[in-house]
Amino acid sequence: MTNLGQLLDDVRGVHWPSRRAVAGGPAGTHQSKMRGTSAEFTEYRLYRQGDDPRRIDWKLLARSDRAYIRLATDRAVLPTTIVVDASSSMAFPLLSNDKWHQAQRIAIGLAAVVHADGDPIGVAVHDERGNIRVLPPRTRRGVVSEIARVIDSADPDGLDPLAPVVAAVRSPRIAIITDLLGDAEELLRAASVHVVGGGEVHLVHIVAREELDPPARAILAADPEAPTLQRLLVDATRRGYLEAFGAWRAAMARQWRAAGASYIEVVTGEAPSHAVRRIVEPRSMGGARA
Amino acid sequence: MSWLLPSALAIGGIAAVVTVALHFIARSRPLAEPLPTARFIPQRPIHARTRSIALTDSTLLLVRVAALLVLAAAIAAPVFAAARNRVARVVVADRSRDVANIQEVRDTVRAVLRAGDVLVAFDSDAVTTALDSLKQVDTRGSLSAGLASAVRAGAALAPRADSVELIIVSALTAAEIDDATPRIRATWPGRARIVRVASTPATSAVPPRVTTSATTDDPVVAGLALLGVTGTGRVGSAEVRLVRGRVSVADSAWARDAGHVLIHWPADDDNALWPKRNSIDAIGAVASSGGVMVGRFPRLWVLSGRTVARWADGEPAAVEHATGAGCIRDVGVVFDPAGDATLRPAFRELVQPFLEPCGGATATAPLGADGLKALAGEGPLAAGDALRDRSSETSRWTPWLLFAGAGLLILELAMRRSSRTPA
Repeated sequence: MTNLGQLLDDVRGVHWPSRRAVAGGPAGTHQSKMRGTSAEFTEYRLYRQGDDPRRIDWKLLARSDRAYIRLATDRAVLPTTIVVDASSSMAFPLLSNDKWHQAQRIAIGLAAVVHADGDPIGVAVHDERGNIRVLPPRTRRGVVSEIARVIDSADPDGLDPLAPVVAAVRSPRIAIITDLLGDAEELLRAASVHVVGGGEVHLVHIVAREELDPPARAILAADPEAPTLQRLLVDATRRGYLEAFGAWRAAMARQWRAAGASYIEVVTGEAPSHAVRRIVEPRSMGGARA
Repeated sequence: MSWLLPSALAIGGIAAVVTVALHFIARSRPLAEPLPTARFIPQRPIHARTRSIALTDSTLLLVRVAALLVLAAAIAAPVFAAARNRVARVVVADRSRDVANIQEVRDTVRAVLRAGDVLVAFDSDAVTTALDSLKQVDTRGSLSAGLASAVRAGAALAPRADSVELIIVSALTAAEIDDATPRIRATWPGRARIVRVASTPATSAVPPRVTTSATTDDPVVAGLALLGVTGTGRVGSAEVRLVRGRVSVADSAWARDAGHVLIHWPADDDNALWPKRNSIDAIGAVASSGGVMVGRFPRLWVLSGRTVARWADGEPAAVEHATGAGCIRDVGVVFDPAGDATLRPAFRELVQPFLEPCGGATATAPLGADGLKALAGEGPLAAGDALRDRSSETSRWTPWLLFAGAGLLILELAMRRSSRTPA
C-alpha cells in the first residue's frame, strides 16, 4: 500500500465525535452517560441521602443553608472496530482492485482519526484463508501501522460473510466498510442489534465507478461470488441495470439509516481523506441521528 | 484423378466463401467479464451480434474452411484411375430364333472378343454371358434389350478402359427393332460396329387353314370365313383348330404336335373353365398387334399367359400357353351371335395374330440400309468417362477424407470452446 503518509497527513486534525453519550469508561474525549466529579461543572442537585458528602458544595451550603452537590459530565473513550469486507466482489475491477484499495485506505484513515482522538481502535477482516482476523481495540502507539499491516495482508477472495463478524465485535462503535453485495440482510440485522444495544454503526458503502457506469460495449457480466450468474449487458439491458442498481443503493441507504446506522456511499476514485471526512461528519448520521 | 460428384466441390467452395464472409459478421456469445453487480442486469438470452471489419479468429477460420473443403472433397469422392490406355469391347450377340445359324454367331463373337471384354446375349431379354454358354433360344429377338444391357456393361467396363467399342452381332431383322431401339442406341456415346449374320427365312405369307367343328352360323367362324382361312387341310406353315365349345382331350392332344395352334374361343360363359371375374363388366375396345376393334364387349374371365390381345385397359383379352411342341390360345372376347361385328374388317385385322404360329410370327424382312447406318452411328468410339455410371462408383478416399473432416470439426469445436472460456 503506497501513499499512506499523504493520507495520514490529510486526516490529521480530524475528529470523530460520538453520535451519542457513551457508557462509562476510562477518561476520554467523548461525553459519557455518567455524571461524575470532573472539572467540567454541569449543574447542582439537592443532596439526597446516600450521596457522597464530599461532593456537597460547602460554600453554597453556607450561603443558602441548603445542601447541594455539584454535578459534572464525565468524558470517556469510545473503542472502535473497523470491519473490512474482503470478499471476492471487492476485488474489482479485476486488474486494479480499486474497490479493495479504496476500502483499505478508508479503514486506515478512520483508524488514524480514531487513534488521534485517543480512542482505542481495532480491526476485523478475513485473512487470505478465510479466517476472521480480529485486532482488538487498542490505543498504544503504532496501532495504526499494525492495522495497516493486517489489512494489507488480507486478500479479497471467497464469500466471507460479515454478519458474524459484526455480531462478535464488542466495541461500542463499529465502522463497516463493504460493498453490501454479500450477506446484506444478515449484516443489517446484526448492525441493528448493535445499535439497539447502544452502539454506533457506520456503514461505508464502497461502489466502483465501473459499477455505476459499465463499459458501453456488450459484455457478459459474471458475478465473481456466483460464477453461474451471468447476464448480458448490452444497450437493451443497460438502462434496466442502472435503474435497478440505483434503486437498490437507495433502498440500502434508507434501510441502514432507518436502523440507526450512518450510511455513506464512497465511489472509487474519491480521495480517501475526503471520504473519511464525510464519514466522521456528525450529519452523516441517518434518520436515527441523535 | 477425377471426381465422382464434382458439383460437391463447387458447393464446398461456396460454403468456404460464405464462412469467410461470416467471419466479418461474428454472431457470438460475448466473453464473460466479472461484474459484482451483475445481479441487477435484467435477464435476456445470452447472444449478441458484434461486427468487425477485420477477419476475426483467423486460426479458427482456417480450420473451418479446411473442414468444409475436406468434407466437400469427401462427398465429391476423388477417384484415382489405374493405368488403362486400352480399348474394351461390349459384344451384343443375337441368340434369338431370328438367327439362322447360332454357330455363325459364335464364330463371329470369338473373332472379336478379347480378354476383359463383355459378351451380352439377347433374345427377348438380354444377359451377360460367356461365349461357351451362347446357345440359341426359340424366342423372338429384341435388340432394345441387348442394347440396354450393353449400356450397363459399358458403364462397368468404363473405369478400366479409355474407350469402349460396341459390336453388334445379329441377324438384324425388322422384327428385332422397335420404337425404343433408336433411343436406347442414342444413349451409347460412340459408334458401333455392326456384324450381320444370316437370318431365318421369313414365315410363309400364306395364311394357315383353320379347321373347326362350328358352323358358319357362329359369328367368329363367319368372320374367319371372310378372311378365307376356314376349311380343311393344311396349306400354311401352321395348322389352326378353332374350338368354340369346351376343349376336349383330343383337342389338347392335338395341340401338343409341332405346328399346331389350338384356338379356344368359347362362344359363351359355359364353354370355358377359366377363372371368372369378380364382377362382370363391359369394355369398349380390344386390340392385338393386328388391329383394334371398338365395340361393347362383356368381360367375363381373367386370363393369364403370353398376351396376344389386350382389352382397352391393358388387361389380357387373349393369351397363349405352350403345350408340347404346339400351343393353345385362349380368347376371352365374346361376340353377340345376332350382331355383325365379326363381319367387319376390324375383326379380320384383330384375329391375324391369333392365326400366327406359336410364339408369334418368325423372322421378317431384314433391316434396311438406313436402319443399319443409324444403328452403327458415327464418330469415335465411346469414351470411358462418358460411359461411367458415377452414381454406382465409390471412392476409397472418401472414408479417410470424412475422418479428416470430422477431426477438423472436433478441433474447431475445441478451439471455439477454449475461446469462450473467460480469462
